[in-house]
Amino acid sequence: MSAKTSLLKVILLGDGGVGKSSLMNRYVTNKFDTHLFHTIGVEFLNKDLEVDGHMVTLQIWDTAGQERFRSLRTPFYRGSDCCLLTFSVDDSQSFLNMGNWKKEFVYYADVKEPEKFPFVVLGNKVDVAERQVSAEDARQWCLENGNYPYYETSAKDATNVAGAFEEAVRRVLSMEERTDHLIPTDTVSLHRKPRSASCCS
Amino acid sequence: MVHVYNCHPFASQQIVQVEQEPGLLCSGGGVIFVVATGGCKVEAYSLDQEGCPLLCRFATMGTPRIIQYSAIGDYLVTIEDKNNATYLRAYTNWRYQAEEKSRVGVRMLGHLLRGASQRSVAQMEIIEIPLSERPVAVACCPVTGDLLVACEKTLVLFTLRRESQHNLNQLNPQSSFQNTQPSHSKKAVPNSPSNPNVSVLDFERSVILHIPGLGPQQVALCAGYVAVHAELEVLVVKLHSSLDPKTAEELADMNTCVDQGEDPGDFLVLQRHQELLGERARDCGVSVTIEKTGMEETGQYTLSFVLYRRFAPDFFQGCSVEETKLHSLQLHPMFTRNKSMQCPEEPSCVFCFFSLPTTGYLYSLRGGVELLSAYQYPEKVLRAVLTDDLLHVITKSALQCFSVRCAAVAARVEDPYIDTTMRACPPVSLKVCALRMQLFIGLRTMCALGRHVMLLSAADAEPPEEADRATHTRSFMEFREHSMLTDIFLALGIDPTTTPALESLLSRPFLSKKWAGSRPKAPSVTGHGWNLYVVNTVSPITLYHEMVEYSCRYAETHPMGESCRHLLSEAHLILRATLIKPLPTAKGEPRELPEMPTDGEKAQRPTTDAFTDSKAERQVMETAFRENCAQLGDCFSRGNQKDCHLALPYYRMSGLSITEVMSRNRPLPISPCSYGPGFVFYLNHFLLEETDQILSQEAADEIIDIFSQTEPSQLVTVCASPAMADVSPAKVLRRLQHLEQATGMSVPLTVTMATMSLRLDDLRRYTELMEKHAEMLLVYGFIEEPRLLLHGGSGGRDTQVRPTQLANQLRKDQPGLLAAAMVALHENNKVQLEQADQVFKELGCEHNLLVDFWEAVLVASTKEAIIQELLFRLAVVYIDRLTSGMAAPSKLLKSTEDLINSCSHYGTLYPWLRILTPASNTGSQQQEALQKLQSLLCGPSMPIGAVQPLLEQLSLGATLWGLSLHVLCATRRGQHGNCIEKLLDHCPQAIIPYANHHLQETYMALWWQKLLPELCNRTRAETENGILLAALKETLLVVATEISPVEFLELMPDDGTALYFLPHLLACSQRQLLA
Repeated sequence: MSAKTSLLKVILLGDGGVGKSSLMNRYVTNKFDTHLFHTIGVEFLNKDLEVDGHMVTLQIWDTAGQERFRSLRTPFYRGSDCCLLTFSVDDSQSFLNMGNWKKEFVYYADVKEPEKFPFVVLGNKVDVAERQVSAEDARQWCLENGNYPYYETSAKDATNVAGAFEEAVRRVLSMEERTDHLIPTDTVSLHRKPRSASCCS
Repeated sequence: MVHVYNCHPFASQQIVQVEQEPGLLCSGGGVIFVVATGGCKVEAYSLDQEGCPLLCRFATMGTPRIIQYSAIGDYLVTIEDKNNATYLRAYTNWRYQAEEKSRVGVRMLGHLLRGASQRSVAQMEIIEIPLSERPVAVACCPVTGDLLVACEKTLVLFTLRRESQHNLNQLNPQSSFQNTQPSHSKKAVPNSPSNPNVSVLDFERSVILHIPGLGPQQVALCAGYVAVHAELEVLVVKLHSSLDPKTAEELADMNTCVDQGEDPGDFLVLQRHQELLGERARDCGVSVTIEKTGMEETGQYTLSFVLYRRFAPDFFQGCSVEETKLHSLQLHPMFTRNKSMQCPEEPSCVFCFFSLPTTGYLYSLRGGVELLSAYQYPEKVLRAVLTDDLLHVITKSALQCFSVRCAAVAARVEDPYIDTTMRACPPVSLKVCALRMQLFIGLRTMCALGRHVMLLSAADAEPPEEADRATHTRSFMEFREHSMLTDIFLALGIDPTTTPALESLLSRPFLSKKWAGSRPKAPSVTGHGWNLYVVNTVSPITLYHEMVEYSCRYAETHPMGESCRHLLSEAHLILRATLIKPLPTAKGEPRELPEMPTDGEKAQRPTTDAFTDSKAERQVMETAFRENCAQLGDCFSRGNQKDCHLALPYYRMSGLSITEVMSRNRPLPISPCSYGPGFVFYLNHFLLEETDQILSQEAADEIIDIFSQTEPSQLVTVCASPAMADVSPAKVLRRLQHLEQATGMSVPLTVTMATMSLRLDDLRRYTELMEKHAEMLLVYGFIEEPRLLLHGGSGGRDTQVRPTQLANQLRKDQPGLLAAAMVALHENNKVQLEQADQVFKELGCEHNLLVDFWEAVLVASTKEAIIQELLFRLAVVYIDRLTSGMAAPSKLLKSTEDLINSCSHYGTLYPWLRILTPASNTGSQQQEALQKLQSLLCGPSMPIGAVQPLLEQLSLGATLWGLSLHVLCATRRGQHGNCIEKLLDHCPQAIIPYANHHLQETYMALWWQKLLPELCNRTRAETENGILLAALKETLLVVATEISPVEFLELMPDDGTALYFLPHLLACSQRQLLA
């Protein structure tokens, strides 16, 4: 039996400052930096993981949330396998803008069947004391817009970050038409751990 | 047939520690890039460090299908797939991705942002290049870093741009390959590591070529040349960018080439082989149209056709299109030392290589496209890569290495003296050979960089082309299974052939699956079925030494064989290819990798450059080169008549002295063969050349012996060489006597013998010999062999010449012959005027014989410049002789009379000169000089303007000869009135002869306007002066015949002397009446 590796493109969208870059950094490098720069344009990081026997390379795309960078980020929506709509629980405006982000994504990513496309909603910064958006409102929004999974996360103290990304992977893999997205790489034997250099040399 | 030498161009092999089976491979910038089969990661391994360690690993955004690296710009471009879409992306700043966890920036082509690089840490950046069509192939220009993308119907050229943070908003409109000096703009960008992120790469879509119907499979780009191949066609065009925009229609007209062929849809069109070179390729039937997309300032692109080649699958021999498919298209630039100093961005040569499975083709594109070599492979080749020195090809089981002729082309571009007697280089058409076949198992692909060849082998998988081999293997295994089982049955006492059930059981390959599954794998270090090898080629000097060693072995068995010469020629080109390369200091810039981020990565510089960099290494190469030239010289000097002349340039380049060359060519005592024609040709040339080297008597005598044996008729020429000055004359005389007996007498031969007698101090014999021929014949003899008289004249205008011993003797015995010979040599362009002056000066006769020579040349020459020069020189000499009173010490060869009679430059002396300066007035030598000068002034050629200033130094009227010269000059200038006065003042008896001679036609009026009034005045003052009165009378006689009585009357003085004029008035009136 052999496992296959997929390259899954997951894109983080949401208002500037909601913590998209911090979420990505926390997940991939397990670090948090309070003084991150604004993201300009588009950046990505890869993370390899194994989910339910599948070797998955998760390509996490971090985008610039500010409006002025729109033309730099939108060309890269195409080919996404999953979209993480992100808002900050201490910023109600970022929550209200989620609908716009979804629309922008569906438009530029040229998604054929938007109702079937896997979105995951992240309410970030739950470590902050003064919330402006309640978990209830968020869940309600997810339910009304397509029954999206909702995760309350904190990049600062790592709450739920890995869970949210793993959910994104699971969502993608659970879709029936995933097979054509699977990109076969090297045959990985079961007794050998991936990404361990010693076994091949 | 391809000659295969078993050389060892491959030195060592390393295995790159790749974890997963490589699928894609490319190299450049000291790095090998690997993408695992179907993977989404690029791994970069350092080629310059032992063991090829991993430099960094970076993720791609999709699954790359094609990767290509550009050293200029240090970027990797990919064509990659993701979710059934195809993308074109350029990965820049990838070296910053040392640890995989850095964030990677992504942007679209042209979307540069001012603040984009404000981050303190440099970041890898991916540029996505949108295309309207699906990209099929990519290529990067090795000179400019520009990018060419082939789509199904178009080729799109992207020019590489370097945007510094300061000029992000003011984009540089010039494409790098139309810009002659882009390195300057590059240099303008500070490149310090402290501010590493100062420039950002970008691309600008500059031109689109529409090529519908070709179906490109691969492209190549180099210095404006664009090559593209389809399955069976290759097309090369050159893009020219001009800054002056023409009208669009004009361009469209120029750049379009419409397919006039019939629609092949309804017919089976059997394509034929076709090769169209240069502009003829326009008729190839492939339509190419230019669409400009760049910014306005980039001007217009035009297109010229360079090469078109079409192949046809040989259906009759069972070859399908599949088996005939082209591959390995490559454009290869070559920079050379001298040319790259003139314009460092222009490669001296550009080569185009492409390959069929069985044949590879190498063309030279610059300076007229031509096919250099066709490589006949011994078996089907999967991929080929051309480098400066070698062509590497892989078959499924071997790496092979062929010689190339690029250096031969480049050498000729670099040095125009190649293919002359000065320098030589093996011809471009020299047959190529295979240097080595190195066995490998299951080769898949290959790339090459500098002295590294990267090979991917995969032994355990079966690519389609290996299927049939595998079938053979399987049937063999089935046979083994079958016999094994049969043996078992027989051992059990059962004959399976008697039992049909057993028979059918055995016929089933039921074990073959297992066999196939556990087939023994190729031995490999890592234990998996694939390996990535880096094979290093040996240094050129090592390969050179091996080839020379081989050639020696061939030389022992077949001294005259072609193989020895061929190997030496190959070795020569190996050295040339290295020596011709630009010095790293002179040319670092364009090849340099931009923005080295860390100190550790400075080791990325190609080691080949570092190798040649070293001065000592270069000296070793140069020594080897000279040694090789000497050996090639030996080959050609001993070889047959054909090409034997090449011995000369090769020996010259070897730096060997003539004695060294002679000793190399001395035949062995036992050897039947004598001196080769190439050697004799070399000697001939050496002796004809003017060198300062004088051979020892021993060497000179040996040369006489050599020529006596091989070409006795050349002995005279040989002896005339200044290098032979120390030859033993007695020996030469003996040889020449033999020659005279054999071939009969000739002037040069006799004179040479006379020269030898002179050297022996045998003056009696010398005189005897010289008297054998008339002087005229001797002169012809000297024309035939000027070196009998002069040495050193053949090197051209400014070379020094020296008289020979014979010339010195002639000066003493036969000065006339010497002068005549010199004139003959001058008139036959064997000696220049200045050189002749020098000879006469050296002979110590610049005051007499030299002047005689000048006079004789003036008589003989027809060249205006020479005539003017000599007229002036002679005038100076004559004036000098007159004023200094210094007489020529010996007899002059030509008298004034002789000169007047032999040429027009010396005019007949005017009658009045005899009255003014009768012969007795001056000494005879001065008289001669005066007469010659007067004669020159009487002639038509002497430029008065030039000589006047010299004459002005002479005091007026101090002497009558001085007066004569002044009057001659004044007369030539038309100042007759002045002359009349001077003559009347100093020598009135000459006035009437002067007036009779000069006051004619336009000056006739001077008789009555000037002369008559002057005489009237003077006779009135000196009434008793008979000379004046006689002159007056003569004048009146002339006047009376020339003017009317009325005019005459007006001339009459009113002081009461009218009576004197009356008879003349009467004569005048009577003449008038008669008329």
